[in-house]
This record gives sequence, C-alpha cells and structure tokens, in this order.
Amino acid sequence: MFGHNFKYTFKVLMRNRMLLFWTFVFPLVLGTMFKLAFSNIENSEKLNVIPIAIVDNEDFQGNEAFRRTFETLSDESSDEQMFDTVYVSKDEADTLLSDGDVDGVLYMNGAEPEIWIHENGINQTVLQYVVDEIVHTSAIMEKRVQNELEQGAMPDIEGLYKNVMEQVAGRKSNLVDASRANMSYTMIEYYTLIAMACLYGGILGMTALSRNLPNMGNLGKRTAIVPISKAKTMFSSLLAAYCTQLIGLAILFVYTIFVMKVDYGENLPYVILLALAGSLAGLTLAIMVTTVVKTGENGKLGILIGITMACCFLSGMMGITMKYIIEKHVPFLDKINPASMITDGYYALYYYGVDKRFWMDVASLGIFSAFMLLVSAQGLRRQKYDSI
Amino acid sequence: MTVFKAFLHVLNKCNGMVILYTALLLLFGGINAKSGDTTSQFTADKPEIVIVNQDENVGITKNFTDYIAAHSKRKELKSEEDIDDAIFYRQVAFVIYIPQGYRQAVLNGETPELRYKSCQSADASFAQMMVESYLAIQQNYVDAALQANPDEKNISLNEEEVCKDITQTLEQTSTVHVTTTLDTNSMSKAAGYYNFASYSLLAGAIFVICLVLTSFQELPIRKRITISSMNYKKHNAILLASNLLFAIALWLFYGLISFVIVGKVMFRAQGAMYLANSFVFTLCALTMAFLISSIFNNKEAVNGIVNVVALGSAFLCGAFIPVEWLPDGVLAVGRIFPAYWYIQTNEYLKTLETVSVSGLKPVFINMLVMALYGVFYIIVANIVSAKKRVVA
Repeated sequence: MFGHNFKYTFKVLMRNRMLLFWTFVFPLVLGTMFKLAFSNIENSEKLNVIPIAIVDNEDFQGNEAFRRTFETLSDESSDEQMFDTVYVSKDEADTLLSDGDVDGVLYMNGAEPEIWIHENGINQTVLQYVVDEIVHTSAIMEKRVQNELEQGAMPDIEGLYKNVMEQVAGRKSNLVDASRANMSYTMIEYYTLIAMACLYGGILGMTALSRNLPNMGNLGKRTAIVPISKAKTMFSSLLAAYCTQLIGLAILFVYTIFVMKVDYGENLPYVILLALAGSLAGLTLAIMVTTVVKTGENGKLGILIGITMACCFLSGMMGITMKYIIEKHVPFLDKINPASMITDGYYALYYYGVDKRFWMDVASLGIFSAFMLLVSAQGLRRQKYDSI
Repeated sequence: MTVFKAFLHVLNKCNGMVILYTALLLLFGGINAKSGDTTSQFTADKPEIVIVNQDENVGITKNFTDYIAAHSKRKELKSEEDIDDAIFYRQVAFVIYIPQGYRQAVLNGETPELRYKSCQSADASFAQMMVESYLAIQQNYVDAALQANPDEKNISLNEEEVCKDITQTLEQTSTVHVTTTLDTNSMSKAAGYYNFASYSLLAGAIFVICLVLTSFQELPIRKRITISSMNYKKHNAILLASNLLFAIALWLFYGLISFVIVGKVMFRAQGAMYLANSFVFTLCALTMAFLISSIFNNKEAVNGIVNVVALGSAFLCGAFIPVEWLPDGVLAVGRIFPAYWYIQTNEYLKTLETVSVSGLKPVFINMLVMALYGVFYIIVANIVSAKKRVVA
C-alpha cells in the first residue's frame, strides 16, 4: 500500500502544471535573469581606465614631472594604463566635466596642481592620489637637496631626481597577497536561488499532504477512512513529494553548473548533502504551514510563498550584502532562516571548503526540520472524527 | 456602484493576504534602503580597511597605521573569519597585516614582508596604491638616513626625524574643487529607494489586483456580468477606478516611508519629482495588473505571474543593482518594461542640480512613455475582455 500511494502521489504531482512551474520552471527563469543581470557586475567594480582631461597650458608643458607621469600612465599600449587623457583648453575641460565625459580635470596653476571634479568618487580619488604622489616626489627632492646643502655638498639635482623617481616608482615594497582564491560574490545570488528552489519545493509537500487531510477536501475525507495507518499514507505521500522536489533541484543544478557556470566548489557529495538537507527543510516548513494554519489551500500557498520570499530577501536574493548585514547585525534572524542556512552552506563550501561552518549549516537545517515536524505533529495528532 | 461594492467585498475577503504581501513588500524596500547596501555605494572616496597590527604600535609602525587610518574608513573585526567574510561581501576592501618586529626591520633598512587581503575592487586597488606609495616614501627617507650614517646603522637613525619627514611629505596635497552642489550620497540613497520601489509597487499592485479581479473571472460570475445591461467597457472602467484606490494607498504608504528613510531630499523639488514619477509608475503598474488579470483566470497562476513579471523587470531594469553595472544588452531588453523608464528618471533626478522646466524634459518624456504603456495595457485588456464575453 505504501508503494501504491507513493506511485500515485508522484504521478499526481508530476501532472500538476502549477506545481511544476514553481519547482521546475520558475527557478530556471529566475536563474537566467540573474545570469543576464550579474554578468557584468564583477568587472564593473574593478578599477577601470579613468577618463580625465588635462588643461594643456604653458605651466603644464613646463612641468616635466607631471607631463612625464601622465604620459606614462595614459599610454594605451601599456598594461598599466590608468588614465584615458585628453589635452584640451580650460573651457573645453569644463564642458567635458559638466557633461560627465571625464571624471576629473587637472589644471596647473603655476607650479600648483588643481583638480576639478564634478562629484566625489573612487576615480576622482585615484586622480587626486596620483597628483599627490607627484607632489610628494617633489617634496622628497626638495628635502634631499636641502639636506645636501646643509651638509655643505653641491647637490647633483639630475642624479637625485633620477634616484628619487626610481625609488618612488620602483615600489620595492614586499607586499604578499594572502586573499582567498574564490572571490566571486555574485555566486551568492545563485546560492539563494537554490535556497529558494528548496523552499518552494515545499509546495509539493503541501499539495501531497492536503490530499490526506479530511478538512481540505473530499479526497482527504476518502483517504482518512481507508484502513491504513495515517502515518503510512502521509509518509508515502511526503516521500513522493520529496522525490519530485529533488528531481526539480537536480535539473536546476545541471542548468546552473553547465549553462550558467556556477561554481559550487569542488566537493560534489557535500553539495548534494546540503541540497538534501535544504529540501527537507523546505518540505517540513510546508508541512508546518499546512497543518498549523487553518485556511484554504490558496491561502496556505500564499503564506508559504510569502515566507519563502521573505527568507530569500534576508539571505541576499535582492541585494547580495543583505545576507552579510543580517548575519552580523541580527544574527538571531539569520540563524532561524532556512534560506540563509542553505545559502551560507554553499558559500562555506565555495569560500572555505568543508569545515566547521558547513557542518553547522547542515546541522542547523536538521534542527530546523526536526522543529518543524515537532510543531506539525502537534497539529496532526489525535485528529479523529466522530460519526455524525 | 454595484461593481465597486463587489470589488470592496472581494478585497475585504482577501484582506489577510493583501496585508501580508503589502507589508512584506514595503518592509523589503525599507530594510533595503536602511541597510545602506554598499553595492550601490561604489563611489566611496575612502576605502574600508582593516589593519591587523601584530607589532608594537610605536614609532614608524604607528606612523604607518596612523596614515592608513586617516586615509581610509578603518574597521575593527574580531576574527579571521569575520575578515574573510567582510572581504568576500565587499564590506572591507583591503586588509593589511603588520608582522611582529616590523618597526625594527624597517629601521635596519630591510623591507619586511607585509601580507594583505584584497576584494579586488577599485577601492581595494586604490588602498593598495596608497599602502605602496606610503612604503615607497618611508623607504626613501629610511635609506637617506642610513646613507647619511652608513657606519652606525639603526643606532644613529633618528626614527622621530624620519617619521616627521614622512608626515610632512604626505601632508602636501593638491587642491581639489568640487563643481556640484548636490549631496550625492543622499541623492543616491533616494534614487536607490525609489528604484527598489519599482519592484515593491509592481509586485504589490499585480498581486492584490489580480487576486481580487480573478474572482470576477470565475465562470458563473462572468456569465452573470455578460448578460447584464452594463457595457463591458464601462464595467472595466469602474473596476479600474476601484483598483486605483488600492494603488494610490500603496503609493502613499511607500511615499510616506520615503520621508522617514530618505530624509531631507524628499523636502526638495527633486523629492517631489521622485514622488510624481513613482505615482505615474504606480498607475502604469495598475493597468499592467488589470491586463494580466483579464488574461489569466486562475488564482493559482497569480503568484507565478507576480514573481516572473516583478522580479524580471526588477533584475533587468536596475531595481536591485545599479543601472551602470548592467550590460547594454540587458538594458536593451529592459526597455520593454515600464520599470526601465521609471528607473531612468530616478537616475536622472539623482544628478539634477536645479529643477527647471527645460531640465525636466527627459523626466516628462519618460513619464509620457509610461503613460503610453498604461494606455496600451488598457486597450489590450478591453480587447481581451470583449473576446471573453463569448461564454460557451
């Protein structure tokens, strides 16, 4: 009987178009949108070549340090090109700046450099910093000359200039990059997508369970009177829902890995383990809503979708840093949010590998599922109907 | 009046779901704006830096840490995991580790190894430039001091003098003139809030209006409406006007919250324009919801449509991430949604120095485009309604 009920529940679920939309189609559609929207985000945040204008007056032409530095940093053939520089008159520079065609204007007023910007920003700060570096180099030069004069020596200005420039530009500092390898933070969006699919998958469990509840329709009444233990019919129905949910999730994984090139780290068995735990959390959440909330099927569906939306929002689906903000400032909310647990588990696998954090997330999902089942059991137990 | 009463009756029956979804969406917008999502604050002029100093904070080490702290937003984080998390989520751009014995090594004329972590953003590149530049100047002065006294090495090296020279050199900066009078941070926050509103307003309007109107699409009701003497266009017009009440209430809520979250910008002319723009968008969202409800009869389908349409337009038009980060191809696709024109207006208002009729021309054009979308949706909805009057 267990197998019979499992088989027919599975068939019913697979033939329900609305359910298939939520568990199979919607995550794929949303994932495709993510791919389109986030394809450029990580390139955009990097420091790109900065468009600037330099007022090409006599003061600029006469200042070798500025002229040479900006020539070098604007060299298009160099890999280290920092600026896309145009040399123009003062009026033209003002127009370019107000039209937003350049991020800043360098204007030499005698020996004093002036920077004109429209608004604050990282590009403008970098321009100011480069100009300041040239000013600093000149200051070091002056200091060196002064020191030599104080010691009674005749300074070799040309040699000193070369020496200082070499030291400043040479950058012999011993900086070693200790950053972690996997830094693609848009991956979080795809992890929230998996979390969403796990939680939306609960809709399948909700439908399967509703078929067994006498207060949800004639089919439930019919099922309630069959001479089979309630536990057996419920368990077989929920197992069918869980299996359907996992099929949907498997399709999503194949799509995200092979089409969208999402990186889940190099630990496939753990990726699957987390998906199983996440799906279970989604299923048990749906069971809890189905049994505890006393309203019609559409109302329960709306509540489940509302909870899922809220959980996904807080785990970073609509703004990647939201998850970090909630985790650091409202940790309790983060700890009870199943979407956050799933997202964090995949993040841990991708960024840290299999470690304590990953196992904490898996354990949290287990505890969450157990708690949901416990609450549901309170709602389901002792449901007996008297003869009328 | 009969149609209006029926509308209110159905709305009242769904009040639980209406309140839940409206509150959720308003909350999303509010939390999102309050959290100060740094993905939209890319233009910070000081990078966020963590200094992990394992050396004694005196002399040349102190000079170094003081300089970095003065030119960055210094953050204190407790553990290495906190640092790694902050780097990944771009909450910290750069972390510099100063090892034990750093000061002594520098004074000996060595270049000790300094570890760093970077999130590889523009801020991080700038922070690295800053550190490298400081170290170059430091090395220059230390070398000069050591060269002046080659026999005595660090014993005679006057650390205080070197620190003073470094500080004096770094204090010399160029003059910067800013031409804008706008408070760009506040304007960005306002634009971010109203950009996100495109999702909340659209999802809220479609969800609630479709939920109510699908009740009018049920077959027995449709038959009853079809045989009534009322013209279907008039019937649609009354339903649309009834929905307008809810749409205006939604817009009012969102507008009122913006006064609390966005603050002073809302009391300027630009604030009024943000409100006007969101009002036109709300009307457009209302007509879109009306069209969707005339096409789909199934209540179960409403949730799916809300998510696909609202999330789709939000991701493709720049409601969740800054428009300038979206690829051109995506923005080209986004043009088919009214949200694109709405968000373009918000982005334009963000940079608008003074509000004048000529300056607002692009705003009016975008509003006109949204209005045309609205008219188009109503026409299509009427055509669909006319076709559906034939009940088998």
